[in-house]
Amino acid sequence: MFKTAITEMFGVKYPIICGAMMWLCKPKMCAAVSNAGGIGNLTAGNYETADEFRAAIRETRKLTDKPFFVAITLLPSVRITPEHHKMYVKVCAEEKVAGIEFSGTPLDKVAGMEAVELLKNAGVKMFHKVGAVRHALHADKIGFDGIYAAGIEEGGHPLNDDVTSMVLTPRIVSSVKIPVVTVGGIADGRTMAAALALGAEGVMMASRFIATKECEVHDNIKQELIRRQEFDTVIYGKSIGLQGRGLKSKVLEEVLAIEARHGGFEELIPLLSGQKVKEAWETGDVNYAPLMVGQSIGLINDIPTCQELMERMAAEAKACSARVAKLCGN
Amino acid sequence: MKTRLTEMVGIKYPILLSGMSWISVPKMVAAVSNAGGLGILATGPLNAAQTREAIREIRKLTDKPFGANASLMFPGAAENAKVLLQEKVPVINFALGKGDWIVKEAHKYGGKVFATVVNVKHAKRAQDFGTDAVIATGQEAAAHGEDVTSLVLIPHLAENLKIPVIAAGGFADGRGIAAALALGAEGVAMGTRLMTTKESPLHENFKKLTMEKDVYDTLFSKRFDGILCRVMKTDAAKKAIKNGLSWPAAFFNSQDIAKQIGVPYFKLFLGVLASGYKNAKQLAFMANAFKAIKDATEDGDSKKGVLPVGQVQGLIHDQPTVAELFERIMKEAKAAQAKVNAALD
Repeated sequence: MFKTAITEMFGVKYPIICGAMMWLCKPKMCAAVSNAGGIGNLTAGNYETADEFRAAIRETRKLTDKPFFVAITLLPSVRITPEHHKMYVKVCAEEKVAGIEFSGTPLDKVAGMEAVELLKNAGVKMFHKVGAVRHALHADKIGFDGIYAAGIEEGGHPLNDDVTSMVLTPRIVSSVKIPVVTVGGIADGRTMAAALALGAEGVMMASRFIATKECEVHDNIKQELIRRQEFDTVIYGKSIGLQGRGLKSKVLEEVLAIEARHGGFEELIPLLSGQKVKEAWETGDVNYAPLMVGQSIGLINDIPTCQELMERMAAEAKACSARVAKLCGN
Repeated sequence: MKTRLTEMVGIKYPILLSGMSWISVPKMVAAVSNAGGLGILATGPLNAAQTREAIREIRKLTDKPFGANASLMFPGAAENAKVLLQEKVPVINFALGKGDWIVKEAHKYGGKVFATVVNVKHAKRAQDFGTDAVIATGQEAAAHGEDVTSLVLIPHLAENLKIPVIAAGGFADGRGIAAALALGAEGVAMGTRLMTTKESPLHENFKKLTMEKDVYDTLFSKRFDGILCRVMKTDAAKKAIKNGLSWPAAFFNSQDIAKQIGVPYFKLFLGVLASGYKNAKQLAFMANAFKAIKDATEDGDSKKGVLPVGQVQGLIHDQPTVAELFERIMKEAKAAQAKVNAALD
């Protein structure tokens, strides 16, 4: 019943894509989203060797015959090196995955135009997650297939241009020829209908997918996302040049206090370690590590299955649109 | 277009003119109301006598419904609100304070009262004391706001309130209106878009800048006027935010304000001092901001002037008349929605 550039490009039922999440977007979760009619996400950073990564892609394929995205973050990191980035691209091309969500530095600047060509020849659709028109234009220019327009409300690392989805989506839609997907602030059929009205061809959600039955995270986390509201997230990390949005917690209070007194990178690193985030997801302790969720948590009120969630979103979007269509005299 | 908002106040389009100091003046208010929207007079820079005069001028220029605002944090705002009630202004929009007494008085003559809010808590409180609608300010909006963005704030308010929600922040065209309606809003408020129209008294220098600047060319800081405020990113704005509060400047600027609102300076000074250090600091901040905004809107002074604008300035590229704008917005909304219908069918 949905027909947008995204559903057509991938042959899926819903233009709903799961965003990258370290430690959470693994084969089972990825397949659950794809099997329910959306597009699941396998986050490459979870795997350190080509063999592990390839095995994860194959495991996902055993669980679903539907398309899914691999997410590759092209940012300098202690654990994931530029060599990893190249390895991920190579394996994706060899395995001919349906699409890649790139974020961070443009692919051609990290791995050269040959990486872009390699993926294009393998039929892998390339999307870049951006927070600014200039980055969207670059992706369009080097032959990418789509743009994820990420507003400041998103969890994770929104660009410090700080532009909100309501403004960023139409601004980018007017500037590029390739399809645009709204990221940040999406959690239900109303927000999806709004994104489509702004010119998006689909939506990406991450926080909303944490509070689903299939997500392999401690139940405390899911309950916390229901309990907490849209004002319960905070931007941190501005002082180290990589801002993030996460759930307000004791650890982020500490991070912000260190930043306020101009404490250094060394002081912050132990608090921001990825390994601690992994433990927090497993133990359900929201105060132990920064949990990168977006303002859309204010719109999360239950823990459905992925299938229930997407069916409900489709019905809600349809109802909202019917109301607006009537108001517009369509 | 018929929504709960258009029906409540008797307007053709569900579009409000935000009450912007030195921009939402009687002529502009009338232009918006005559074009089928709801003009809102900004009373911030006016004293009680000037407010009364402005209301009467609006009534000479239009027989359509209109409104006026009262930012209850400012000195003199309560007096202005009393004038609005005496003049039986059809819609009163209060912000930055508790307007329960305004609601009580306005309802006696059939007036409607809108509260500007940034979260569910304030919105529910306003609903509880009888406010007729809320204007929900998203982070992307011009001037004062909080962190939550329109995309998240509007649906959250719409599902938690019985009274209509008017979306403010991020709206300049038909796509935006269609999106706001999909989120459950009954209308939108536009500031930045309407300040860049032929009828707007905003100085040409700043109209031109609004059309040139992009979505990321704004600054959102507490250091301009003491509370989170979004302004156009210019050298003057950067400097003002870098320097923060200047007490000596506030001393001079507050004298101008006293003159403008017709209060003897010692009375204003003592009143502010008596309100406590925190409030005095806030008002000192605002006195300086007041001057900078006036320099921008009236004189077009881009060296000293600072203009509150929303991120949506990046979607604005022309200067139509208000009537042209509204017609275009309705056409765009219809087209945007037709596309959504096609995608969902």
